[in-house]
Amino acid sequence: MTVGGWVTMLVSLVFVWGLTGWCFWRVLKSPEDEKVPGGFGP
Amino acid sequence: MASEQKEQWGTRLGVILAVAGSAVGLGNFLRFPGQAAANGGGAFLIPYFAALLLLGIPIGWAEWAMGRYGGKKGFHSAPAIMGLFARGSLGRYLGVVGVLIPLAVSFYYIFLETWTFGYFLKYLTGGVGVPQNAPVAEQTAAAASFYNSFTGASQDGVLFTGDSKFTIISWIIVFAINLNFVFRGLSKGIEKFCSYAMPAMAVCALIVLIRVLTLGTPDPSNPEQSVINGLGYMWNPDYSRLGNAQTWLAAAGQIFFSLSVGFGVIINYSSYMKPTDDVALSGLTANATNELFEVGFGGMITLTAAFVFLGLSGTTAAVANGSFSLGFATLPVVFAHMGAFENIIGALWFFMLFLAAITSSLSMYQPAVATLKECLGWSHKKATSAIAGLGTIGAILTLWYTQGGAFWNTVDFWAGTLLIYVVAAVQIIYFGWVFGIERGWKEIHSGAAIRVPPVFKIIMKYVAPAYLIIIFIAFCFQNLGPSLTAAWASTGSRVGILVILATAAFLLVVVRIGEKRWRAQGLDIDDNNPAS
Repeated sequence: MTVGGWVTMLVSLVFVWGLTGWCFWRVLKSPEDEKVPGGFGP
Repeated sequence: MASEQKEQWGTRLGVILAVAGSAVGLGNFLRFPGQAAANGGGAFLIPYFAALLLLGIPIGWAEWAMGRYGGKKGFHSAPAIMGLFARGSLGRYLGVVGVLIPLAVSFYYIFLETWTFGYFLKYLTGGVGVPQNAPVAEQTAAAASFYNSFTGASQDGVLFTGDSKFTIISWIIVFAINLNFVFRGLSKGIEKFCSYAMPAMAVCALIVLIRVLTLGTPDPSNPEQSVINGLGYMWNPDYSRLGNAQTWLAAAGQIFFSLSVGFGVIINYSSYMKPTDDVALSGLTANATNELFEVGFGGMITLTAAFVFLGLSGTTAAVANGSFSLGFATLPVVFAHMGAFENIIGALWFFMLFLAAITSSLSMYQPAVATLKECLGWSHKKATSAIAGLGTIGAILTLWYTQGGAFWNTVDFWAGTLLIYVVAAVQIIYFGWVFGIERGWKEIHSGAAIRVPPVFKIIMKYVAPAYLIIIFIAFCFQNLGPSLTAAWASTGSRVGILVILATAAFLLVVVRIGEKRWRAQGLDIDDNNPAS
């Protein structure tokens, strides 16, 4: 594995893991408006 | 529409996981690594991430916003929603393609899903018959023999002979599981299943990844075949490939099909959100989740494992044979080299692929079910039963015309590939140019949990449509000629074309009826009174 390979792999992994982690952190920390019961609603 | 009972998502996380589940499919684990390795390795990630930022994420945001806007006006089908954005009938009839794509793809996708389920069952009960201590050539022949037998690739109708009943039984189980969750509805069925299946898929992927990364150098007499060199095969960049237009086309195509933009599912799913729900962060999160599975797992597992046991020439040959051969004929050979772990890792791998496939297939019926309900005024049960009937006919044709995969390859190219470009292009052009980018921008930020950087306004109005049209022309230039020839080359491919045309005709009639009904009911189907 070349240095370029290591750099590309690590940058890509940090990007996708970081982006996903940040997104879920933001989703989970922002409150739900209201809990909607499952199934069909009016 | 207001008087009709409608479905809703239970939670914000639920819709994100459902959309991500729809996007994460077999291609994340099988197609992406093959494309990357064949197009410059690590260098492929440059055009790949460029396409993610310039195409995938912005078109995805537009589709999420369009769906939620349609939902505000009581519509959930792509034809009705695109009619709002186009302010007329043309959009509604172009929107039919957004229903045709997932429905036609579902005809064969459940068959592919059956492969993952069947292989999973086989690994649970002893494997697929690849001898552990035999030469690689013998193992490859055994894996290919099982693959051909299970998929019926040798001739049409062979799966309906007595010898292939395992495939048919697997298909019946998989189809029944799908119908069960679709009948249960959006929240109790699809959302609930995805909320368990997505984390389970991540756990399976993590276990397989750890096993692959700890393989070291299994054969000390062959030190070249190590995990590090396997990673190098996938990630070492060949920057000279960036000067090749094919690399950029392949990267954009991979992003495009992987994220499911233009597939007709996101626009339908997001229409069941509340008017105040966020679409900006939700869309980004669904895309990020897809990228995690594609780059974080698919890019690390598949080719690394193949390289460690098959070496450079074996892995290169496997990549050249295509995604499905890599997944179903090559990896069983790799698992056979894992000793005591063979069946455990094999079962985990194929269970993970099964979860990836079923979270996608579950999303494919919903757009058609919504269209029948909305256009014909049918109940959920009646509409789902009708689509299940259509799905059964399509699936039986897929199971019959198996020779060389001609039927499903034809449907995959015309409905599952070419038409996606059309829908995505129509959507982003209507969104940016007819609905208006200022209104669209406001719509994306209504209830948004994040602010989208202003540069995306320019990307959505100018860059994404232009990029998309260039790629579409290049794609047609490269593929249309051979695919037109192949479309009439066999009975299976001809039936595939007829199935697409018949399904399109059926949906056009349904939408025509729906348009008349909506007008008679006085609904604002041309968006003359914009929703706030």
